[in-house]
Amino acid sequence: MSYHKPDEKTLQALKDIANKLRIHSIKETCASNSGHPTSCCSAAELMSVLFFHTMRYKANDPRNPSNDRFILSKGHAAPILYAAWAEAGFIKESELLNLRKIDSDLEGHPTPKLAFVDVATGSLGQGLGAACGMAYTGKYFDKASYRVYCMMGDGECSEGSVWEAMAFASYYNLDNLVAILDVNRLGQSEAAPLQHNMDTYKERCKAFGFNTYVVDGHDVEELCKALWHAEQTKGKPTAIVAKTFKGKGLKGIEDQDNWHGKPMPKDRAEELINDLLSQIQSPNKPLHPQLPNEDVALADLTPIRLLTAPEYKIGDKMSTRKAYGVALKKMGDASPRVVAMDGDTKNSTFSDIFKKAHPDRFIECFIAEQNMVSVAIGCATRDRTVSFASAFAAFFARAYDHIRMAAISQSNVNLVGSHCGVSIGEDGPSQMALEDLAMFRAIPTCTVFYPSDGVSTERAVELAANTKGICFIRTSRPDTAVIYDAGEKFEVGKAKVVRQSDKDQVTIIGAGVTLHEALAAHDQLAKEGVNIRVIDPFTIKPLDASTIVASARATGGKVITVEDHYKDGGLGEAVLSALGEEPGIVVHRLAVSCVPRSGKPQELLDMFGISAKSIVAAVRRTFAN
Amino acid sequence: MFKKHIIFQILYIIVGPLCPASLKRFVFYKVPPQLQGSYLSMEDYHKPDQQTVQALRNIANRLRINSIKATTAVGNGHPTSCCSVAEIMSVLFFHTMKYRPDDHKNPNNDRFILSKGHAAPVLYSVWVEIGFLKESELMSMCQVDSTLEGHPTPKQQFVDVATGSLGQGLGVACGMAYTAKYFDKSSYHVYCLLGDGEMSEGAVWEAMAFASYYQLDNLLAILDINRLGQSDPAPLQHHVEKYQRRCEAFGWHAIIVDGHSVEELCKAMSQPRHQPTAIIAKTIKGKGIPVAEDKMGWHGKVLSKDMAESVMRDIQSRILNSNKRMYPASPIEDAPPVSLRNVRMPSAPNYKPGEKIATCKAYGMAVAKLGRYNERVVAMDVDTKNFTCSEIFKNEHPNRFIECYSAEQNMVSVATGCAARERNIVFASGLATFFTRAYDQLRMAAISDSNINLCGSHCGLSDGEDGPAHMGLEDMAIFRAIPTATIFYPSDAVSTEKAVELAANTKGVCYVRTTRPETAIIYNSNEDFHVGQAKVVCQSKEDQVTVIGAGMTLHEALAAAEQLKKERIHIRVIDPFTIKPLDAKTIIDHVRSTRGRVITVEDHYYEGGLGEAVCSAIVNEPGFTFQRLAVAHVPRSGKMSDLFKIYGIDRDSIAQLVRKMLSSSANAK
Repeated sequence: MSYHKPDEKTLQALKDIANKLRIHSIKETCASNSGHPTSCCSAAELMSVLFFHTMRYKANDPRNPSNDRFILSKGHAAPILYAAWAEAGFIKESELLNLRKIDSDLEGHPTPKLAFVDVATGSLGQGLGAACGMAYTGKYFDKASYRVYCMMGDGECSEGSVWEAMAFASYYNLDNLVAILDVNRLGQSEAAPLQHNMDTYKERCKAFGFNTYVVDGHDVEELCKALWHAEQTKGKPTAIVAKTFKGKGLKGIEDQDNWHGKPMPKDRAEELINDLLSQIQSPNKPLHPQLPNEDVALADLTPIRLLTAPEYKIGDKMSTRKAYGVALKKMGDASPRVVAMDGDTKNSTFSDIFKKAHPDRFIECFIAEQNMVSVAIGCATRDRTVSFASAFAAFFARAYDHIRMAAISQSNVNLVGSHCGVSIGEDGPSQMALEDLAMFRAIPTCTVFYPSDGVSTERAVELAANTKGICFIRTSRPDTAVIYDAGEKFEVGKAKVVRQSDKDQVTIIGAGVTLHEALAAHDQLAKEGVNIRVIDPFTIKPLDASTIVASARATGGKVITVEDHYKDGGLGEAVLSALGEEPGIVVHRLAVSCVPRSGKPQELLDMFGISAKSIVAAVRRTFAN
Repeated sequence: MFKKHIIFQILYIIVGPLCPASLKRFVFYKVPPQLQGSYLSMEDYHKPDQQTVQALRNIANRLRINSIKATTAVGNGHPTSCCSVAEIMSVLFFHTMKYRPDDHKNPNNDRFILSKGHAAPVLYSVWVEIGFLKESELMSMCQVDSTLEGHPTPKQQFVDVATGSLGQGLGVACGMAYTAKYFDKSSYHVYCLLGDGEMSEGAVWEAMAFASYYQLDNLLAILDINRLGQSDPAPLQHHVEKYQRRCEAFGWHAIIVDGHSVEELCKAMSQPRHQPTAIIAKTIKGKGIPVAEDKMGWHGKVLSKDMAESVMRDIQSRILNSNKRMYPASPIEDAPPVSLRNVRMPSAPNYKPGEKIATCKAYGMAVAKLGRYNERVVAMDVDTKNFTCSEIFKNEHPNRFIECYSAEQNMVSVATGCAARERNIVFASGLATFFTRAYDQLRMAAISDSNINLCGSHCGLSDGEDGPAHMGLEDMAIFRAIPTATIFYPSDAVSTEKAVELAANTKGVCYVRTTRPETAIIYNSNEDFHVGQAKVVCQSKEDQVTVIGAGMTLHEALAAAEQLKKERIHIRVIDPFTIKPLDAKTIIDHVRSTRGRVITVEDHYYEGGLGEAVCSAIVNEPGFTFQRLAVAHVPRSGKMSDLFKIYGIDRDSIAQLVRKMLSSSANAK
């Protein structure tokens, strides 16, 4: 097939739409008196050609699974995205003037409150990773013809996550993915480092395995042609590196410094708009997007249940990280929608058990945690898959901005962090997650599972797959005993009382390895005739406040929390928050209080005061006081 | 619990001095004077003689033997990842680098960063070879009483920054190289050894772009392309030409070598450098261990005792007799002396009570002022300098400002590198929420004992119309969970200036949280501020409730106090100044005098912020009634005042909660 140049009328219509998008962007940002019109203007032709010539989608049904996907990675250009959907007829033109208002869904940066937004953007450099997840899903899971377009700014090309995504896209031959770089030269506070050095952008994209075209980003014909070639290219993703001017079409503002994020001055807006209007030749010629091939089934939203109960016996010894791998594999057996990914730690997180059983549904993301989280988010959009991404818990710190944005994106992604806490031992502090609970607790949409044995881990995985929002499962390295019967039922926000008697004098709350330390302390103290109650919270967020309060009351208000985590933001503070206003309760917290070190797991649990020994001592102290 | 804490403190005090570094019980061999300065300069490279080559090979093999021996002895570690770099380490430490082996922190020394930190045993083996460490110490690495940890940490003098979270070393190396070239204007070079697995980390490419942009020709990266990752081959396998192309596209000079050829390594490392240089070394993982060479399934696996012995015998047999001892060349002594002690503001803050100024602007002015009298105060930003106001510093001290562009991870690494060996007092700023991007780097900065200072502007809902993507609502939670962190949350320009001054002199990671909207000055210029000391901003004898706020919410609390006063309800208002450490004593004392009633109000999510910090501080105080106001959901775009109302952290919400608290306690009576 050879390229046919669009007819003159079409080209003119695309130019006209570009200018209309400019006018809308100016009007929107003038109305809100904030926003980024100059960043919109550089992308006007790109948006016009994408939305009214290249992309295939149903303008009245933006979330249709067969539609081409579009991600505005340079989220601050939101006004032009809203303008494009106004031109496409999905939103009313008058609504545009409510940009950034408290009662409008047209927010400062795009969020999925809008049907045409799959992932929130506005933290730069994250769009391409999500686009990779969508493109991977399109090509390998849905095996469908929809394509994925991601519009990026030049400033965000300084973000490493962009290059993680670039490497990923070429490694997996995502020829259904097009990255458009709007190289408008200027950043927020000064010129972007490569300015208009188009060759360097080209070399970088090519070196990272992209089929690359450098184009004049304001020439609609060139754009039509390059995007057509992108579609014909097999085996490689395409990058369109578009040389543009920030504020293009705005006299006296185009390519000038100090116009980032500034609306047009009220006294100049009219003149600028009139100038743009004068370039529009046929204001009423409507262009309609092409419709998609309907080759994608609607998302299946039925809950996914384990086909069989956990196969562990009480007393069996196994690590929760291994139980995660087994559980994930079983979830994969239960539904073809379950997919998994890892950051080259699959033999440590045990996601390799899933990979062995379901190789076609496993994505190796290599050592690029930010991109892994973005890919997981991308895979989960439009409910196409239920994705589980695993790595050492510590390394989710690397992707915390992406996780934060996933909450704004209303994503249902599931993240699993192994090797938490000092109990990993000799590898030392760089590998120990001691702040992950604090991180994930501060994500508003997050459910935090912290299972303590094989049975509860398996149920946590099952619950996570069916729980909205972000789910985080914290798993541990050491082998611990199975403490629950295979038939035990688990619920989000429901704690388990693992040991109790009528004479309990203190409530101990532990999770993971510290729950087992608490059980050991229980047995030791029992020999001395001291009874303690032991609680497994199961989920740290939400925390089962009523069970904890009831236990605390039953044990004379004495509570001890013990956690393999820093003191700030973890289990202890979650318990304090839950107890809130309860009078007469005294809480002691055992947690890691400084940067730890290498050593044997048990030695470290002792050294940092979270072992059975420390718990026994703490219990005795509560009586001494 | 406190006792327990003290016991560990004591334990550390006892165990600490036993560590070899602090005892200095070794006889370091001194570099003979005849050898000093006699090393080849880069311009007149001669192939090293055969004796030298053999000696370097021998060292490489001894490094292998010790790496295998140590990992087998302790049953832990990554011997195969050490074996691939044996020749590289030998050539670097005994041929290329210039340093004083008996004076690790000498500012003139070339720097070395082992970015692939899991190869720690080979680094420790180098220092055994040099004579600084005893072999017996190496054989007990990773044990609870050893300062040789599983991954390098600055518990060892020869380690500047902790590594082990992959892809972070090069950014730190960039900070050191920038310091050498532009701040110290000295001739020391910076060498960074990376693994191929970590080349997938975006942070590496941020650093690559930074190094070429700033023409760091004193920076050399060695890429150990041993093909195999942890669970799979690395994505580019042995395609060294692809690595070369990527490095070149990012503005580096890239040389492909056989990483096991001492001659090729010597030559490549001696080439004159006019831009940052990458040596792409094709190597074999497990080189020297026949069963493991280039084989999957050997990452992080130690050899059995029997296998180790046979392998070591085999390697030993390749060590040929050579009388030549290798000495590192001495560095050129041209790094200026630097003192970072007692950095003070030249004068008191110059603000008048009632004047309105944003704390983010006060930050920029304070750092600029501090820089006026302290040459080693440097600042950096991520293309947000017009928001964070660090441009005020830049305008005044352009030569001490580093624009890091939109690469937050790299900025934090560069900051850590600049602050290493106490060369600079570093202030790095960005929007508060984007420090989440660098949280792994911040976590590692704590393990590195780094003293970097960070400033996050535009915190919370007060960012308004830009929407949730730009609002820092979890920053206090993440910084509180950094064990070495001090968190300043100043509420006016005077306290911001004091916070900057204190941060410059406070060890550990300091974080200053600033706000975008203008707020009134509430402190006199001569007010004294201390870390961990709260201020009571508004009080009377009739106070019935204590309200704790910071930044915008402190001003909302003050407005609520005015409002309530009309109803003859008096409240005490406390400004904590630092959230970590929190002034528990002042808070408890004042809450007691308001009959145990306390409210916190914060522009942050409920979890991990001011409220939980106060909760932790007052836990177990009998008779306290504690209520919290914070942001409970992902917020949205809108005017700040509307958002404060919607999410319930404005003056009306505070006043209402105060009334409610008082009426319910009245009912209780």
